[in-house]
Amino acid sequence: MNDTLQEWLATGAIASGMLGCGMRLPDATCLSYSFNELCPREGLDQILHQLAETTATLAGQGLAPRRLTWTFEQGQIFLFPRPDGALLVLATQPNTEAAENVDALAEEFFSLNASH
Amino acid sequence: MIQDFFASLGEKIWQIHCVTSADQALELLKVRKIDLVVSDVNMPMLDGIQFLHILNRSHPDLKKAVITANATEEKRSACLAEGAELFIEKPRSPEGLRSIFIMLEELITWTPREGFQGVLRRVGLQDVIQMECLGRNSSILEIHNQQLRGRVYIEDGRIIHAQAGDRVGENAFYELLSLPSGEFQLHPFELPPKRSIDGQWEFLLMESARVRDETIAAQASANGPASAPGPAPADKSSALAADLAAQVEETLICSGQGEPLYAWQCPNTSARITLLQNVAQQAASLSQLIPLGNFDRLEIQLADSRAVAQVKTDRMVFVRVSSGSEKTARQSNE
Repeated sequence: MNDTLQEWLATGAIASGMLGCGMRLPDATCLSYSFNELCPREGLDQILHQLAETTATLAGQGLAPRRLTWTFEQGQIFLFPRPDGALLVLATQPNTEAAENVDALAEEFFSLNASH
Repeated sequence: MIQDFFASLGEKIWQIHCVTSADQALELLKVRKIDLVVSDVNMPMLDGIQFLHILNRSHPDLKKAVITANATEEKRSACLAEGAELFIEKPRSPEGLRSIFIMLEELITWTPREGFQGVLRRVGLQDVIQMECLGRNSSILEIHNQQLRGRVYIEDGRIIHAQAGDRVGENAFYELLSLPSGEFQLHPFELPPKRSIDGQWEFLLMESARVRDETIAAQASANGPASAPGPAPADKSSALAADLAAQVEETLICSGQGEPLYAWQCPNTSARITLLQNVAQQAASLSQLIPLGNFDRLEIQLADSRAVAQVKTDRMVFVRVSSGSEKTARQSNE
């Protein structure tokens, strides 16, 4: 994974209430960062693989998503799939700066070059 | 004597039939239309309380009054429990008889209020609306608490109008269903002053749940970090204002086991049920990877619409709506 993506993910996603973030490239390589012990890196990697399958399943039903928002009592998991197959996952606590900034982060993600 | 006295007071409007036992009364009820039964408690063979019990089963709509010379609290309770509307001690003067006549006449002309009453803390308002809509009933649900009073009009199972204070339409509906507590009455249907809602009731209920979550979250946020955690609010891009312009494209409701209960414009019901079951499995798996509490919903933002999948133990719901803002954009381009 190129340095630009790593740097953006490591620094750009840090915000109050961000539990963790991760990215999956079209070749299935993953990079993730944990900002809270509740959200370990291994868990984020698994979520990325799992939601990649979910995205494909949804697309098979004519529901190709631009964003998935999984809402739980104490947080949300956002998934942003790009047309090239890259995925961004963000786990946030509710009513926090991080939760409010997910759209801005997604815009940056869509504009980044994901190629190696 | 009483028969003559009441007949004179009733100006011949009353037709009074006198019998001397419960079995004679039951025989009379078979051949004559009776509006009111006035019974004693102490009667031969079958006492008044047993007589009331039989009447309650055989003639549940019949009005019943008990007049007795031996009025005890125990008998009063028993008679009222068996369906008597009035329990009166036998009078000892003509003036007392006149009072009884007035009470009985009031009882005859009294019409029981139709509908139900309930308290939101004990009965879910959403459940009542869901029952009315699933049953394709027509009714008016009046909701109020100390701050707000409003009405929801349901016609043939469709929510057609809502008003809450000065608000009407979906805004009013969401506001009423966001009330933390209050009371409601279900009234017989009357035509509303206008028709302000034409959306699907399933979508309206789901949106009302989301608005309520947002309200709770906003209140929790305003109260500071010590507040109890609630479901996370939906993000701002799916704000209520845009939702109000949304249009339901498809709806599916099924049981927790995947049995379809209601489907509307669903292109492939079995595939959607599989999807909902998949969502349930994924949510359980996500909960194990990151402990964020109970799962509430999955929102799927699509190119030209938005879908919500909600999975509970007893039911699963999938609703897809066209995005209000995108619909507005399309209309402006046209």
